[in-house]
Amino acid sequence: MTSTDATTPKSDTTKGVKRKTHVTPYILILPASIMLLVAMGYPLGWQIWASFMKFGLRQQFGAPPDFVGLENYISVFTNKTTWGVVARSLIFCVANAALTLVVGIALALLMNAVSKAVRLILQICLLLAWAMPVVAVVTVWIWLFDWRRGVINYILTHLGLNFSSFNWLGTSMGLYFVATVIVVWMSVPFVAFSVFAGLTQVSEEVMEAASLDGASATRRFVSIIVPMIRPVLMIVGLLQIIWDLRVFTQIKMLQDAQMPLNSDLLGTYIYRLGVGSGDFAMASALSIFVLIITIIFSIAYVLQLIKEDS
Amino acid sequence: MKGKIAAVALGLAAALTLTGCAAGTPTPSTTTTGAQNITFWLIGNDTPQPLRDYLVDEYKKVNGGTLTIEEQTWGDIITKLTTMLPDAANTPDVTEIGNTQSPTFTNVGAFADISDMYSTLGGDKLLQSFVDVGKVDGKNYTLPYYFGSRYMFYRKDVWAAAGVTAPPATLADFNKDVVTITENNPDAINDFSGFFLGGQDWRNGISWIFANGGDLAKQGADGTWTSTFSDPNSIAGLTQLQDIQMKASKAPSTAKDQSPWLYINDSDSVTDANGNVTDSTSLAAATIMAPGWAHWSIGDLTKDATTGKDVRTWNDDTFGVFPLPGNDGKPAPVFAGGSNIGISAKSSNQAGARQLMEIIFSAEYQTMLGQNGLGPANSDYVSSLGSDEFAKALIDSASNSKLTPAAPGWAGVEASGKLEEFFQKVADGGDIVSLAKEYDDIITPMLNQK
Amino acid sequence: MTTLAVPTRSPRRRIRISRVLLSIVAIVVALVWVFPVYWMVSSSLLPNVVLTSTKPRFFPFGGSLDNYEGVMSSGFLRALGISLQVTLIAVVCAIIFAFLAALAISRFKFRGRRSFVLAILFIQMLPAEGLFIAQYKMVSTVGMLNTVIGISVLYIAAVIPFTIWMLRGFVAGIPAELEESAKVDGCSSVSAFFRITFPLLAPGLVASGVYAFLQAWNEFTIALVILPKEDMRTLPLWLRGFIQASQARETDWGQVMAASTLVAVPVIIFFLIVQGRLTSGLVAGAVKG
Repeated sequence: MTSTDATTPKSDTTKGVKRKTHVTPYILILPASIMLLVAMGYPLGWQIWASFMKFGLRQQFGAPPDFVGLENYISVFTNKTTWGVVARSLIFCVANAALTLVVGIALALLMNAVSKAVRLILQICLLLAWAMPVVAVVTVWIWLFDWRRGVINYILTHLGLNFSSFNWLGTSMGLYFVATVIVVWMSVPFVAFSVFAGLTQVSEEVMEAASLDGASATRRFVSIIVPMIRPVLMIVGLLQIIWDLRVFTQIKMLQDAQMPLNSDLLGTYIYRLGVGSGDFAMASALSIFVLIITIIFSIAYVLQLIKEDS
Repeated sequence: MKGKIAAVALGLAAALTLTGCAAGTPTPSTTTTGAQNITFWLIGNDTPQPLRDYLVDEYKKVNGGTLTIEEQTWGDIITKLTTMLPDAANTPDVTEIGNTQSPTFTNVGAFADISDMYSTLGGDKLLQSFVDVGKVDGKNYTLPYYFGSRYMFYRKDVWAAAGVTAPPATLADFNKDVVTITENNPDAINDFSGFFLGGQDWRNGISWIFANGGDLAKQGADGTWTSTFSDPNSIAGLTQLQDIQMKASKAPSTAKDQSPWLYINDSDSVTDANGNVTDSTSLAAATIMAPGWAHWSIGDLTKDATTGKDVRTWNDDTFGVFPLPGNDGKPAPVFAGGSNIGISAKSSNQAGARQLMEIIFSAEYQTMLGQNGLGPANSDYVSSLGSDEFAKALIDSASNSKLTPAAPGWAGVEASGKLEEFFQKVADGGDIVSLAKEYDDIITPMLNQK
Repeated sequence: MTTLAVPTRSPRRRIRISRVLLSIVAIVVALVWVFPVYWMVSSSLLPNVVLTSTKPRFFPFGGSLDNYEGVMSSGFLRALGISLQVTLIAVVCAIIFAFLAALAISRFKFRGRRSFVLAILFIQMLPAEGLFIAQYKMVSTVGMLNTVIGISVLYIAAVIPFTIWMLRGFVAGIPAELEESAKVDGCSSVSAFFRITFPLLAPGLVASGVYAFLQAWNEFTIALVILPKEDMRTLPLWLRGFIQASQARETDWGQVMAASTLVAVPVIIFFLIVQGRLTSGLVAGAVKG
């Protein structure tokens, strides 16, 4: 990435710099650790504590909470609704993360394949989408999908399809579809730019050579490009999974517009239990449960990341 | 005049604080508190600015301190109340609260006991269904702020064109008329509703349960609550409701009671700069049901001369109102809209908060509420609503209005979304008897959850 | 997908049909992607009566800035001020703290390093929707409710884990020997850092800054409970309040879209400022990591 003509005399210790004391790294991580501890320590601790209590609105207003052991966890585990929400969330997460990655990569390849002017147009359009604040984004999309005056119904109807008064948010599938459109639309720019950035690092000579050797486009993609942009894909993929599993704002705002049956995902479900119904203990137990699910879900990924890290 | 009332209020306040001490309430001695700066939460923008100014000015006169009014939104009010009411350092001193949210918060001790003020603030003259949702074990915690009963808004022109020339006399007539209008669809509009009622709109939908003598829940002798969708009267109401939903309303089954007036407003045309009509906006419904204050949002689209904003101006030739008639021809019991008001138990400015309550329940403020189309809490001042058709419809419909059960878990029932689910399934044509049983079983335990 | 190499230097410059097709596809994709943004801006210029028509108007002919006047007078500038303060503090602190931590985990082997790395990866998986009550209690107890600092601390903690991870790649990409040799040449430790390491890091700092900026700028669920006072609202809260108030009567789509546009403008300006560095930042972090 830069000129490294400052050729350094190779020291005996190739592994970085040896410091006299071992205190330095601890001092360096101190500010970040303090911030995390201050901001997350108490809430996390409280959440774990509350998840073993009976803690509702009455306790919130000062009544002493009772210790109930694992009762909250047992009701989370044995509740059919919970498992429905978990299943829907996992499917939503995988579908969205995969779709975002695929479209993002495709657009990055597209950027790489077109002339500079066209690329600039595409990049500016993606950048504008990326810059939109989420509240504004969801508001605009709700309006575009409006059942009576939505532009999308108008266009589809004029294309000869019968979408007049079609209520997109009337079923949970419809709501998830709209949410997916929004999430993918918002997330693709980040993926596309990251992957494109990775692609520009792939040396032309290698590609030319491969091309001359008769390697097909698919083959070049799989055996040259993918390994080169693999680190980008790993980190971007992990982020998408984390974000899409805890998607909240988009679903909440869509539900505020219209709420079909069974449309809760984990984020809105926790919110409904906690702030909505005042059952903070259950909400806490569920949060911890979600944390564990996310860890299980991403553990292979994380271990891989750690391995590549060292 | 104002000064005189203030003087009276001051005298009342002094008298009250004395009785307050005598009754041994937890209120700190308030005879010489001096000025207290207090905060008052209003929800939504229903309370007009002149009324807010009046409260601030009066409070300054009576107490000497500053009253800060903060406007909250209905969407976030539960979050705000849950976090801030228990927090002595940041609690509002007085807050408005939705009448259906009141039982849950009063049951957990969020509000100060104001039983000693009850008779001074209006006593039995106050709207009793609202008083009940603010009461626990015979003590008063929240009192009615204003009410706005639900009634029907209809398009006279469309009704007439569809061959229905007079407002219905009984509930059966209404149920029949809206189906007729839908079938005749005089303007041949796509997806036209004779009566637009969202599938999940339980707040309006329960009127049919009430009108047939049913109820949402009842309290047994032991104090526990039972959901009563399966009661034969409720079933009768739900059956009528389902019929309307299937035959008269083309509203999405997921639609709630938000801004139904959009659907009877839109007969406007779009004109270009030269005044030529270029487009028309679609009319979707001939009838809606909404709280009385909706009439500010219904009418022809005009420009406000001072602000330049688009406003709706009521047009008597096109629009009309009537209360939903009951089986006997009298106004049917409908769900009253509106809210309660109470003093935060954690407020350290109890004296000031009580003075604000006095101002709110004073003759002058109650009259101001009425003059602005908000049903005053005290029945003595209902005449201030005036005598126009809105006042008449409001008073008629309120004469028989009901509230949701004063069960401790009611707010939880609302927050769970189960009512929306149930009414949507009814609207979608599900089997009423089995649905009623299913949701009774779900809701009964929630009602009793504290 | 056929010509992946940048072809200008290729001796066989063939203008292929596929190239033209791809350009068309790219333009179509660009238009689809930008349409909601366009729709927002276009609608913000139109009066409400046109917007509620059954026939959508695709071009804002006869538009005006009237909607913006109504929006500007309802507290936009104050909310902008709060948002700028919160975001600035969050971004600057998060980047500094994260950089130091990134330095530690990429340049040192120390006890607890792996736990630290795992902790920062896992901590961001905790659902935020269950934390409100505890966060409120905490912030309120220390008297930081309705303060810029109170909310900023929560935002810093929210963005720090990923920022550390991102910067770690950049720091690892800069050979430590570089700095050492500068010191040998007589630079002090500090000046070696600022003259050698810092410029190499700039793209990484920009990339992680963009991330932190977007997070802090968009967040509103925590802000709702930590900044309950009306005059402490951040832009997303203000926009939400504006929309809710509008919905209470009859949604004034023209004004709502104008308000949305105004909230987006500062982000677009920010992007324009950093855009040159942005892509190179993403590259370096990703590939050298």
